[in-house]
Amino acid sequence: MKLRWSNIVPHVILSVFSLCILLPLIWVLRVSLTDKLTAYKIPPEIGHLGLENYVEIFSTYPFERWFLNSLVVALAATAISLPLATAMAYAFARFNTGGAFLRLGVLASQMLPPIILVLPLFTLFFSTGLMQTHMGLILSHLTISLPFLSWMLVSFFEGDSASLEEAARIDGATRWQAFIKIAVPVAAPGILAAGLLGFILSWNEFLFALVLSGASSQTLPIGLASMETHAGVEIAPLAAATVVSLLPIFALLPFLRKYLIKGLSLGALK
Amino acid sequence: MAGIELKNISKVYGGSVVAVDDISLEIKDGEFMIFLGPSGCGKSTTLRMIGGLESISKGDLFIGGKRMNDVDPADRDIAIVFQNYALYPHMTVAGNLGFGLKLRGVARHEIEQRVKSISTMMGIEPLLDRKPAQLSGGQRQRVALGRALVRNPQAFLLDEPLSNLDAKLRAAMRTELIKLHHKVGTTIIHVTHDQIEAMTMGQRICIMKDGHIIQVGAPLEVYRNPANTFVAGFLASPPMNLVAGRLEGVGQGDLHAVVGAARLPIPDAFKAGYASHAGQPVTVGLRPEDFHQAPVGGSSVAVTVVTVAVELLGPEVILVAELGGSGGPEIMARMPRDFMARPGAELHLHYDLTQMHVFDAATGNVLPRPQIA
Repeated sequence: MKLRWSNIVPHVILSVFSLCILLPLIWVLRVSLTDKLTAYKIPPEIGHLGLENYVEIFSTYPFERWFLNSLVVALAATAISLPLATAMAYAFARFNTGGAFLRLGVLASQMLPPIILVLPLFTLFFSTGLMQTHMGLILSHLTISLPFLSWMLVSFFEGDSASLEEAARIDGATRWQAFIKIAVPVAAPGILAAGLLGFILSWNEFLFALVLSGASSQTLPIGLASMETHAGVEIAPLAAATVVSLLPIFALLPFLRKYLIKGLSLGALK
Repeated sequence: MAGIELKNISKVYGGSVVAVDDISLEIKDGEFMIFLGPSGCGKSTTLRMIGGLESISKGDLFIGGKRMNDVDPADRDIAIVFQNYALYPHMTVAGNLGFGLKLRGVARHEIEQRVKSISTMMGIEPLLDRKPAQLSGGQRQRVALGRALVRNPQAFLLDEPLSNLDAKLRAAMRTELIKLHHKVGTTIIHVTHDQIEAMTMGQRICIMKDGHIIQVGAPLEVYRNPANTFVAGFLASPPMNLVAGRLEGVGQGDLHAVVGAARLPIPDAFKAGYASHAGQPVTVGLRPEDFHQAPVGGSSVAVTVVTVAVELLGPEVILVAELGGSGGPEIMARMPRDFMARPGAELHLHYDLTQMHVFDAATGNVLPRPQIA
């Protein structure tokens, strides 16, 4: 293949953008393997490489608890929001429940800055005893994931899905059977992709966790932030903690890509 | 198996849009009925009402003598083959075929047995483990038909099932559906806008327009005795020539249909029905195949035409010509395959008067005349 400007230019531009995204990650990875002093050296030097920081976050900081809290909250928030969002999306797509008003209303909650939701949630949780609990945090995450996921899923129940359900009902299925045995399996890639996105949203959520969680329910983003102490930023352990907290997301990414693409190509059934 | 009866059925959307307007029709047990009409005529809506996918706004629907208006589609025991086939994409062919049986609680070994015998009958046995995405259009069509057949329903409703196939496959599937009906003998309602499907497949055709039934009858009966200009112009290709003219003459003595410069004497047998329109503008219907190069029996009249164009189709030739001489209304005539004429050439053809239809110019309804058997 001959080198042409029309080939080179886009690749150069894309490389610059990719570097913008990758450089911080590479820097974090490098810092996590060195010590605080080497981290800030200019010009950068590799210095001593080791896993001491990874040991430190598990010995000095309650990293396991943060990780577990994040895992519990993200899994539970996803497990609750996914079936609810699926049902909402189905109702929007099939029965046009609430019309455009309800659809926009659900979306409008996403247009508010999250800080506006924090205060009412704080008072609500304070009076119901949900403050600083896992349950409270899970419920607060539903305010983000439920609208987002239901909007995302609507398109998976539009189009072909309706005529497949009609075929099922003619075949002898009740409305419920047509939903469970046809509509949901057909939309499964989309539902899975939505679930993964919901998990990531909840995993990374900072503001609600900061205000509504307590010592026992602190999640990873709050834990990481707490490593910026009065005595300065513990940059090396922080980098190690960041790398570990990224791992689940990296593990999920290939699936997300696969199901999203599968979900988007659902329309090509005919 | 069961007959289907529609009594004064209407479908109104949103309180004002009338999709189907007060139609009544009886489909006999085991009959192959065609719903024919242009898109938007209400034929698919009618089919969906029979299937239970649309509610019935007014009127009564009976299947096998039982009123079905409020019965769930699952309990009507009918099958629909959809235009897009609507195969379940996440199931194999075997899963698609067996789904309805499974829902009805049929034992597993019986499902397997029935799926196997239907797939053998439809020639899709080697495909049982494939997913719909891995099938060709024709194969999907067979699976969709198989899925309908396997349940042994009281009636089949086919919603333009051939329209997604290419021309060759469509012709083959047409024959196959006819054979299938002979074999299973179940009531079939086939919705189509294709007049060839309508003419060749059905025992009766129900022609619809704007939510109304225009005419119901055996294909040839409707073809030979169209109720109005819409039916006359819709069936057959090329369709009946519909040309503006007048009925001239006094009473029953000497009545002519005058089209351009051509004068077509009205046969004695028709005069009684046509006399009332003497002196009035009418639409004259002349089928292309009723123009001949030689006189036909004692019933034809010589007409002069001027050639406009000649279309060589192979088995036949379509002559486009001006009737009665240059400047006359344009008509099409079906000529034998060895026919030749240069544009501008004047020809003398013979029109078979017994086949003529005259329609009221204002309403488009046919004027009464003896039926052509």
